[in-house]
Amino acid sequence: MAVIDVVNLSKAFGPKVVLSNVNLQVEEGESLVVLGGSGSGKTVLLRNIMGLLTPDSGHVAVEGKIIAQLTREELFIVRQSIGMCFQMAALFDSMTVFENVAFGLRRHHKMTEAEIHARVEECLAMVGLKETEKLKPAELSGGMKRRVGFARAIALKPKILLFDEPTTGLDPVMTDVIGRIILELKDELGITSITITHDLKSAFEIADRIALLFRGECIACQAPADFKVNPHPVIQQFLRGDADGPFLQDPPPPKRKTQEAHA
Amino acid sequence: MVLTVFDKIGTGVLRATDTFGDFAVLAGRAFVAIFKRPFDGKNLLNQFQSVGVNSIPVVVLTSLAVSMVFAVQLAFGFRQFQAEGLASQVEGLAVMRELAPVITGLMLAGRIGSAMAAELGTMQVTEQIDALECLATDPIHYLFVPRLLASMLVVPLLTVVAVYIGFWGGYLILVGVEGQSAYVYGNEFYKLLAFRDLRIAIYKGLVFGVIIALVGCWKGYRTQGGAEGVGNAPTSSVVTSSLWILISDFFLTKLLLV
Repeated sequence: MAVIDVVNLSKAFGPKVVLSNVNLQVEEGESLVVLGGSGSGKTVLLRNIMGLLTPDSGHVAVEGKIIAQLTREELFIVRQSIGMCFQMAALFDSMTVFENVAFGLRRHHKMTEAEIHARVEECLAMVGLKETEKLKPAELSGGMKRRVGFARAIALKPKILLFDEPTTGLDPVMTDVIGRIILELKDELGITSITITHDLKSAFEIADRIALLFRGECIACQAPADFKVNPHPVIQQFLRGDADGPFLQDPPPPKRKTQEAHA
Repeated sequence: MVLTVFDKIGTGVLRATDTFGDFAVLAGRAFVAIFKRPFDGKNLLNQFQSVGVNSIPVVVLTSLAVSMVFAVQLAFGFRQFQAEGLASQVEGLAVMRELAPVITGLMLAGRIGSAMAAELGTMQVTEQIDALECLATDPIHYLFVPRLLASMLVVPLLTVVAVYIGFWGGYLILVGVEGQSAYVYGNEFYKLLAFRDLRIAIYKGLVFGVIIALVGCWKGYRTQGGAEGVGNAPTSSVVTSSLWILISDFFLTKLLLV
């Protein structure tokens, strides 16, 4: 049985259909990377998995439990087994790094302060951020915030990790660091994960399978090697990073004019 | 034309019903969440600090100013009828029954209600409230309950403080400026009052505290639209809670004075 089962999931906001009949299954210990253009429904997919949004039709099941049918209490129990890393980290800005990472532990585990300290230190060490416990989120760089977000997400030892564009807005070096951390977390903890990213390099490094969302539909979900040679014009255009092709709804400016402008 | 008018009225009624329903559901969830575990004592103490202790100077100053202005008006008015002695009695009645609770409520709606709306609004647009949900924590329980409890306890207490300061505001004008006897003022201030009046003032403070916390949290929790939304939430919170404080004051006065 798949750990995460997305079945015929559709979601619209007013007249705008964001997800249309999306089907995805993620097996235990598997790392699925979801690619897609901006506004293609990737984040909406994650928010449906977390139960932050309710599907218009279809459903999401996590470990066999249909998220939209759970009571709030049952949903909170399921959420304790899922770690979510937000695009902009979403750290609690009134708390220190230590308090952010310890938050879930204090709420859901009867641990002594010494045990909480040990666990927080362990999580921060995993993401390479020792000695930052006393800092506030405002004192951290973008990459450090993401890593604290990772530490907070893994503190409760979740079985599933969801990464929402963990490398967006970071420099190439920090992007590589984040990619390595995700790989390490996957190898060390054997966690099932879904990662949304635009960064193809880290996508091919961390993925067991890659899915591509295009205009709300999942047009491919396969192993990285197969994905690379998939002849679908949208996939090939996305891999090339070329503006010309079926990917964009509005036609881009002609290439020649852009080159002339630079000249 | 006629259809358009009906359409607009219908849309307005539906929107108002939707808004009120949303507020009622969140308020209900907040009251139910008071009895849920875990109890976050540290968070509650922080709220007592920001809602209560930090509001004392504002309440003291406004209560002093309003009671002094009212005493000046009373002294001037009663002097027309050579009935200056009544000024301290009416001052006591007005401060205890209306001025202290309403001015405290309105000032705290501006100070703490807007702060709650801005804080929760910022948390909403920066996904911190979603992060709470993802960490299996009910935002209503974690964010609403401490603010609601702190407001429910602190606003009545600050109302009592405002009554006490109101006494001294009247004293400064009627005794210090108008030359009335301090002994007479001390007796006359409470002459028309009964213990019931203090109870009514405390009840009003309790209701105003609930309004301030729930409206402030609700406006913040429902913030949308980035910086503009965060900017609008405190304004909307202050206007809405001030309006409800004044409306509920009328009904509470009618109900409790009978």
